[in-house]
Amino acid sequence: MTPKILSLLNFPMLHRRHITLKILIFLILIDLAETFAQFCFKKSVCAASFLEIHNFSEWVKFILVVLPSPFLWLGLFLVLAIFTSWSAVLSRIDLSVAVPVCSFSYITVPLVSAIFLGEHISHLRWFGITFILIGVFLVSLSAKCPQKTS
Amino acid sequence: MKTNIFFIIGLIALTDLCDTISQLILKSSINSIDWHVNTVQKALRLIWQLLKLPRVWLGFLISGISFLIWLFVLTKADLNLAFSLDSMRYVMIALASVLLLKEKVSIVRWLGITCVVFGIAMVAMG
Repeated sequence: MTPKILSLLNFPMLHRRHITLKILIFLILIDLAETFAQFCFKKSVCAASFLEIHNFSEWVKFILVVLPSPFLWLGLFLVLAIFTSWSAVLSRIDLSVAVPVCSFSYITVPLVSAIFLGEHISHLRWFGITFILIGVFLVSLSAKCPQKTS
Repeated sequence: MKTNIFFIIGLIALTDLCDTISQLILKSSINSIDWHVNTVQKALRLIWQLLKLPRVWLGFLISGISFLIWLFVLTKADLNLAFSLDSMRYVMIALASVLLLKEKVSIVRWLGITCVVFGIAMVAMG
């Protein structure tokens, strides 16, 4: 019974194309790292917020102020790490699985701003978060290995 | 400062298209190398192999262009609108995966992608 249902749902039969819990957690970590990298870039630019950029010499000044910031280098390091991890994940699963599952930042950003910045989450936003979770669940389900479930 | 809405939608579609193309290039390059990465060493070797391919650099260039267009959109458009329309990238990537990478996208996966797109639109509008 079960294999028939699985074949009806058109599960990918290729053995190496299935998603595992490990890859799922990895993708969530990539998402969190991306959020944190954005935070780092914002922080590093904040140090130069007193500058007004109108011409080339002010651009140079801006870069000289931002360049020594540890946040900038942490952000750049994170971007490299994210690219490496993303490529590693793509060697294991379909692109049409990896990209929707990586939409977790649309959930984490409102949650983080609610918890740490005291922002209000509206009903519509809660609905949206639920929808994203259901969507990610369905996409992961569609990439699950049938051999493992039976 | 009211910009034409169709102009904004077109620009967002363009930045999503650029993003889709760069992801396609990356994924097809990884498929052509055809490794099953499960260690950090293998991941680093994969990156090294990827960086030797000229089309991967083309992909970087295209995602850079996509980023610039996105920055321009953010200066012109309402943030809620921009972020909710940006979720069309998920549909584009799914279509491109089916048509160009020959991935099998089942009904369940389409349903999931639709839920994600609607969810993002709601989060952005909320």
